[in-house]
Amino acid sequence: MDFKIPLKQHIGSLSKVIVNENFAVKRGQLIAEADGLGANIHASVSGKVKKITETEVIIESSQEVEKDDFLKLNKSDDYLEMIKEAGIVGAGGAGFPTHVKLNCELNNGFVIANCVECEPILNHNISLIEKDPTSIIRGIKYVMEITGAEEAYIAIKAKNKKAVKALEEKTSSENNIKVKKLRDIYPMGEERAIIKEIFGKWLEPDQLPLEVNSVVLNAETIFNISEAVEKRKPVIDKDITIAGKLNGEKTRVVKLRVPIGTPIKLLIEKAGGIKGDYGELIIGGPYTGKAVSLEEAVLTKVDGGALITLPFPEYTGPLGLLVCACGADEARLRDIAEKMGAEVVGVEQCKNVVENNGSLKCKTPGECPGQVEKIMKLKKAGAERVLIANCSDCSNTVMCCAPKLGIPVYHHTDHVFRTLNYPLTRRLKLDA
Amino acid sequence: MSISAEEAQKMKNEVAVGCCRTEAGTVISAKNLEDPAIIPDLVDSNLLEIPDNCLKIGEVIGAKLKETVDSLTPFTPEMFEDIKKMEEDEDIKLSNEDQAAVLKINKKAGEKITIDDLEDPMHFDKLEDSLLIDLNDSDNVLSRREAVGKTLSQDLPALTPIKKAVIKEYPDSTTEEGGKSNQNNVQRGGVLKIKIDEGKGIDIELPLNTTVQGGAQTIAESNQSKSLKIKDTADKEKKAEEEIIVRKLKRKYFEINEVKFARESKIEDKTLYIRKDICQDAVDSEDLVVDLKIDIITPDDYDKFSNTIMDVQPIAVKEEGELGEGITRVIDGVIVMVTGTDEEGVQIGEFGSSEGILERNIMWGRPGAPEKGEIFIKTDVKVKAGTGMERPGPMAAHKATDFITQEIREVLKELDESLKVREEEFVQKRRPGKKKVAIIKEIMGQGAMHDNYLLPVEPVGTLGAKANVDLGNVPIVVSPLQVIDGCIHALTCIGPASKETSRHYWREPLVMEAMNDDEIDLTTVILIGSPQVNSEKFYVSKLLGMAVESMDLDGAIVTTEGFGNNHVDFASNIEQVGKRGVPVVGVTYAAVQGQLVVGNEYMDAMVDLNKSRQGIENEILENNCLTKEDAIRAIAMLKSKVAGEEIKAPERSWNPNVKLNNIEVIEDTLGEKIELAPNETSLKMSKKRKEIYEKDEKDN
Repeated sequence: MDFKIPLKQHIGSLSKVIVNENFAVKRGQLIAEADGLGANIHASVSGKVKKITETEVIIESSQEVEKDDFLKLNKSDDYLEMIKEAGIVGAGGAGFPTHVKLNCELNNGFVIANCVECEPILNHNISLIEKDPTSIIRGIKYVMEITGAEEAYIAIKAKNKKAVKALEEKTSSENNIKVKKLRDIYPMGEERAIIKEIFGKWLEPDQLPLEVNSVVLNAETIFNISEAVEKRKPVIDKDITIAGKLNGEKTRVVKLRVPIGTPIKLLIEKAGGIKGDYGELIIGGPYTGKAVSLEEAVLTKVDGGALITLPFPEYTGPLGLLVCACGADEARLRDIAEKMGAEVVGVEQCKNVVENNGSLKCKTPGECPGQVEKIMKLKKAGAERVLIANCSDCSNTVMCCAPKLGIPVYHHTDHVFRTLNYPLTRRLKLDA
Repeated sequence: MSISAEEAQKMKNEVAVGCCRTEAGTVISAKNLEDPAIIPDLVDSNLLEIPDNCLKIGEVIGAKLKETVDSLTPFTPEMFEDIKKMEEDEDIKLSNEDQAAVLKINKKAGEKITIDDLEDPMHFDKLEDSLLIDLNDSDNVLSRREAVGKTLSQDLPALTPIKKAVIKEYPDSTTEEGGKSNQNNVQRGGVLKIKIDEGKGIDIELPLNTTVQGGAQTIAESNQSKSLKIKDTADKEKKAEEEIIVRKLKRKYFEINEVKFARESKIEDKTLYIRKDICQDAVDSEDLVVDLKIDIITPDDYDKFSNTIMDVQPIAVKEEGELGEGITRVIDGVIVMVTGTDEEGVQIGEFGSSEGILERNIMWGRPGAPEKGEIFIKTDVKVKAGTGMERPGPMAAHKATDFITQEIREVLKELDESLKVREEEFVQKRRPGKKKVAIIKEIMGQGAMHDNYLLPVEPVGTLGAKANVDLGNVPIVVSPLQVIDGCIHALTCIGPASKETSRHYWREPLVMEAMNDDEIDLTTVILIGSPQVNSEKFYVSKLLGMAVESMDLDGAIVTTEGFGNNHVDFASNIEQVGKRGVPVVGVTYAAVQGQLVVGNEYMDAMVDLNKSRQGIENEILENNCLTKEDAIRAIAMLKSKVAGEEIKAPERSWNPNVKLNNIEVIEDTLGEKIELAPNETSLKMSKKRKEIYEKDEKDN
C-alpha cells in the first residue's frame, strides 16, 4: 500500500527531500529536512520510496506497521533540539513549528496546555488525556524547562469530567500546574480566547501569547514533546477522530497513533465505511475543517478529524453568506452554497474579522460584536436565506434578528451536526 | 444493462433480476444485475414477471448460483446455494414515533421513506427557530411512524416536513404528477378538473384562444392554481409600510317607500313628491325632446310594458366635498330609469333594445340593474323623429330626464339629516409594498347612444360633465371613489345584457373588490373610450400604453362592455399594457355570441362575464355584466399571473363548466361560498327570448 507523505504539513516552506526514489526507508527515518521555517519529516512506515513529487514522498509499504518499532532520533540533552529533530508542529491544526515557538524565554511566564478541543465532535485529544494524562503533564514540564516558565495551566472544558478528574489527580502534588476549567462554547479553544479566560485580557489579533509571557500548546503537541524527549520518537503518528455517516453502530471512532500518510479513505473503511450517500468529507472539525476529496486525502501532522456528512439540503434560492474568522471563510461558505444549489447574492464579514498575515482573525473570539447590520445588508442584497459561519455567541445574535426579518438561517456546521445528532449552533440558552 | 457496485449498494432493497445469461457457479455481483429503474417498464411490457419470492439485490450479492439462468430472470431463493437474509428495515427501532416526520435528505418522487431518511426531532426547535422548517401545520404533517415505508409522490428537499399531500399512499391528496406545487389539474371528458389540496393564494384563470383561425375562436376558462409565490410575497410584504388612506367617501341613505306627484317637489315622511308640471319644463329644456312622461313603477307594475331601457340611475347628491370624496346623499328604494322612442315609435337604439315586459327584461340585482322591490321613476322620452340613432337624440333624452332628477337632488340635499336610515363608508387606500394594480375600464365611445358623460358636478348628473366622445375617448385617470360616486353617467343602450349602466359604475364590483383587497395596491382607475373608427381605437390605446408605462404597475385588469367591434380596442389596450411587461387580465363578455374577433399574445388571461344559459346576448338588462363573482375571479387570476404562474390554454369551444369548476376551486381555497348571480332562467321568458333566442324552450 502507498503512503503519501506531504512535504508541507506545517506553516513555512516545503521540506527538502533527502532520500531518492527506490530507497528503502525505515519507519522513523528522516526523509525531508526543514528548509528555513518548517519542520523535519520522517517516514511513518517502513518500505520503499516509490515516487517523489514536488509536494510529497510516496512510500510503498507491504508490512504491517509495528507502532513501537521505529528508528529513534539521535540522542540529545537539548530538549528544544529534540523537538526540532522530531519535526513537531502544532497538532491542533495550525502546524506552527514547535521548536520555533518554544525558542523564547518566559521568565515568570506561563505554559498553557490547550486541552480544550473545542471543535465539537472531535474527541481524540480528550481520549488521549484520559488514557495517558501523565505524558501530558511531563510534556508540560519539559516545556517549562525549555522556556523557563514558572507556571502552567491546563485549559480544558469542564464537561470532560473524566479527563478533568484524571488531570486534577495527577497534578494534585504539582504546585505550579493548575487545571483551568472552561465553559463549553465555541471557540473556547482559540488561543486568545483561552488567554482571555485565564488572564481576563483580550490580545489583539496580531499579538501572540508572548505578550502575556505565555506559550499555548495543543495537548497532542505536548504529548509529542514527551515522546520525542523520552522515546526519541519523531512525529510519525497522529490521533484522529473519524465520524459521520458510518456503517455499523458507532458514528464516531477515535484512532490514536495512526501513521501519517495513511489514506483517509482507508481509515473510514476501517471505521465501518460510508453508509449510503454522503455530502462531503471534511478534514478537521465542523467549524474550521475543509471539504476534501475522499480519494486524495491523506493523514497529516495537523489533521484531527475526518467527518463524513449527510448530503446537503437543497435550497435553490438567493442566499447571503456571513463570514466569520472563527468558522468558515468565504471560499468554504461558497463551497457549501454551491453544494446546496443556492445562488450567492451577498457576502458579508462579521464586524470582528480582521485580516492578519493573510488569514482571518476574530478580535474577540466568542464575544459577539452584533450582527444585525450584516444581516440587514444581506437582506438588502436580495438574500432570502442566510448561511452563517459564526461562533456560538455570534450565531445566537444572528438568531435574534434574522428570523424576525423573515430570513431563515443555515449554519455551515448544520450538515455535520445533523449527521451526528449533535445540537445545532443557534440560540444559546439564557442560563448557559 | 448491468449496474455498478455503488448502485447495487444503494439499491439493495430493489428486486434482483439477472441482466444476462448467468452460468451456474457464478457468485452474483453488481454486474450480473439488471438496473432496477427499468424493471417497471419491463413488467409493463410483459417482458418480465416478478414472482412474490423474488430476492432483493442486497440478498443476492455474493451468493452463488446453483443453476444457469437466462437473461432477464428474476432471482429466487431456490436458484442459490446460500442466501443471506437481509436485515429488514422494520427491525430497526423507530424512536420518537409520534414526532413529526421531517426529511433529513433530499429525496426523489417514487422513493420510499426509511427511518434513516428522517431528521432527528432533537433539531426541530432550532430548525423551526431558524425558519428552516415549519411544523405549525401539525394536522397535515405525518408522524414518523406514519411516514416510514411510504412512497413520495414528488421530489422533496431535505428539511421538508412530510405531509399527506406528497405521499402516494394517500391518493386523495396526492398530486398526479411530480412538481413542487400542490395542485392537480386533470383533463377529463373535455372538462378541466382542478383540485387544490391546500393553499392560501388562489388564482383563477380563464384562458382564451388568441389565434384567429376561421372564426372558430372561443373563450373558455380554466385553471385554478394555488400560488405559492404569492404567499412568499405576502410574507415578505408583512413588513411593508403601512396602508395610506388617500380619501374617504361616505354615503348616506334616505329611504323612500312611495313616490307621488304634488304641487311642488319635496320629501315628507318617506314619500317623495314630484312636481306635477315638471315634465313640461323637462321637455322645454331640450330642443330635441318632443314629449316626456313619468311613470312611477311600483313592484305591482313590474309586469307592465316599457320602451327600451336606456339607463338605470341612482338619485344622489353631494352633501359635502366634490364628487369622489366627502359625503353623498342617496335615495334608498327609488331609482331613475331612462326609456324612450322617437316620435315615430322607433326604439332609441338600433338593434338589441330591451323594450318589453319589465320583469322579463331586467336581470334584477345586477350591479347595474334595479333591485326587486324598488320603485322606478321611469321617464318615457320621445325625441324628434330620426334622432334616436344619432348622438343628439339619446343625449337629449338623458338630459331631459336629468332635469327631473336634478330637482329631486335639490330636495334631497335639503332633507333633514334625521331621516337618514343608514350610512356606508368607502375608503381609498394605497398599500405601499403590495403589487401595484390599475383597473382599466373601456367605456363606450362610438357616439350616438354609445357615450358617457364624465365627471358631472352631482353624482350621475349631466351638469358640468363632458362626454368622452367629445374628449376624444382618450384615457382618463379617475380615483376608484370617483367611479363609485357616480362620475360616469352612462349613455349606453344597445346590447343591454352586456352594457354597463350608470348604476353599474355606482356599484362597480371590480373596483370595490380591488379597493378592499389588502394583497394589492389599487393605484387608479383608468377610463378609456372605445371609438368608432379603427384608427382611433389604436390612437387611444397607444395613449393608454404611455399612461400605463409611467405608472410602474405590477398588474392591470382591462374590462370592456359589450362585444364585437369594441373587442378590437380591447385587444389593443391589453397589448399596449402587456407589451410593457405589465401582467394583464382581460374581462369581457365573450362566450358563444361574443367570441373575440382578434387576439394577441398578451391575451392569455381572460375572464368571461357570460351568465346566460346559452352564452348569448339575450337583451336581458345587465345579464352578462360584471358581477362580484367575476371580480373575484379577475383579481385572483391577476394575482396568479403576477406570480408568474402558467395559464392553461382554453378548450376550443365555450364550456360553462370550466368557470363553475374555477369558482369551486376558489371556494375551496378561500373556504368561503361565492354567491353566483342568477341568470335569465330565473325570469319569466320574454317575448324576444321565446320568439328569437330560446324558441326550443317553453315559457316557464
